Amino acid sequence: MTNCIEIKGLSKSYGDFALKNIDLTLPGGSILGLIGENGAGKTTTIKCILNLIHRDAGEITLLGYDNIREERLAKQDIGLVLDECFFSDALRPLDLDKILAPAYREWDRKLFRSYLDKFDLPEKKLIKEFSRGMKMKLSLSAALAHHPRLLILDEATAGLDPVVRDEILDEFLGFIQDEDHAILMSSHITSDLEKVADYIAYIHQGEVVLSDAKDSILDSYGRVGCTAAQLDNIDPRDILRTRKGTFGCEALVGDRVAFSRKYPMLLVERTTLEDIMLFVGKGETK
Amino acid sequence: MTGLITKDFLVMRKMLRSYLLMIVVYTILAYLDFFDYSFIITFVQVALSVLPISAFAYDEQSKWDRYAMSLPLGRSRVVGARYLFVLLLTLFTVAFGLAGTALLYLAHQADFLEMFVTLMVSTAIGLLIPTILLPLSYKLGAERARPYLYAIVFIPVIAVVLLAKAGVLDMSMLKGMDLLAPTALAGRAVLPPLAGLALLFVSYLISCRVAAGKEY
Repeated sequence: MTNCIEIKGLSKSYGDFALKNIDLTLPGGSILGLIGENGAGKTTTIKCILNLIHRDAGEITLLGYDNIREERLAKQDIGLVLDECFFSDALRPLDLDKILAPAYREWDRKLFRSYLDKFDLPEKKLIKEFSRGMKMKLSLSAALAHHPRLLILDEATAGLDPVVRDEILDEFLGFIQDEDHAILMSSHITSDLEKVADYIAYIHQGEVVLSDAKDSILDSYGRVGCTAAQLDNIDPRDILRTRKGTFGCEALVGDRVAFSRKYPMLLVERTTLEDIMLFVGKGETK
Repeated sequence: MTGLITKDFLVMRKMLRSYLLMIVVYTILAYLDFFDYSFIITFVQVALSVLPISAFAYDEQSKWDRYAMSLPLGRSRVVGARYLFVLLLTLFTVAFGLAGTALLYLAHQADFLEMFVTLMVSTAIGLLIPTILLPLSYKLGAERARPYLYAIVFIPVIAVVLLAKAGVLDMSMLKGMDLLAPTALAGRAVLPPLAGLALLFVSYLISCRVAAGKEY
């Protein structure tokens, strides 16, 4: 099985910000969740993947195609939903059929209309009158109507209510039932990724600081609540990050079971992706 | 590529519809001798040549460029689609101008040659505006490129008037045109739009280069 995305040594510098040596792999039949703070480099990574910006170093392969030399071939099989709706307010959903059909070899008019129908999107209404949720559903319909094998989603579920988000996440899960399909999904809503992602890559200040299977991360990482005195007694090698607050301290541990065995007096809880982000973003090393 | 051209027409269908209505109304008025048809042709040609800049403004508003560059087309095709949009608008205006000219010639025995020359010159101007403004719009964006539009339209006019008043430019040379045979004059009148087309192609190559180096 070919990897749907392979990124090796990707670097891009803007002067005040740099993406450093990013390595990512997305196998077929899975969803890779890209997490990170605002400005951490998620969108820059996606822009490099789509060849919208010029990288300084590295290699990117999409569905077996080089993303620059074979850009057009690769993009025939990519569906894209970004954080905003890129279709002018003066257009109607059916207009997109006329606009996008000539661009894709496999554009499926019937499938596009069936998505409009499925998402309850009025075909002839001006996009100007659509809610944010409707616009995202429209973008998703357009992204899926040419039978893509890879979906790239940048903050696609941001600003949507839980019902619409759930509906869209279900669609993503249906999409990857085919082992040739895969999704790269950047999101701030870590609970969404906990629901659907198979792999997680955490980008912090332009670097991948964590990249693993989601279940492996959630099963092994743990959060320890303790006092400052207890924290002082923990071997620094046993904890990854710490956070000190007014009412106590917290520590992030990489191996919850091993930690519990070594420090039976301390309670170690399961952690969430959001906890990990907070520890890395706001915490410190001991 | 045809999809992108279709998109420009669809996004601006309201504006194009009002232009079309305006042309029809003014043609009727010209037919009834209320207006000079040459003036209408020039006005429409210049007005339409500004539309591609409006297309840029619409694209910027919806951040369409980033999406268009993500389609499996390549940057030069995305740029090419915008230039073809310009050409189609120009062709439409020339066709309409010729039809109106023929109509007025047949109905009123109007001066066909004069109207034809005006149409050709206004077509050249209509091509020159996007020739300069499109690469600027790719480089600077629609809003920052817009002031250059006024410079392109007004500076040459002001310069010609000032130079003529100062006696540097001898306007009497234009009178020499009357001495030319009608066929020779018509033949020469075709040259400015052809030169405009050649310049538009050069402009396309420049825009492709700008777009290739740009980050979206």
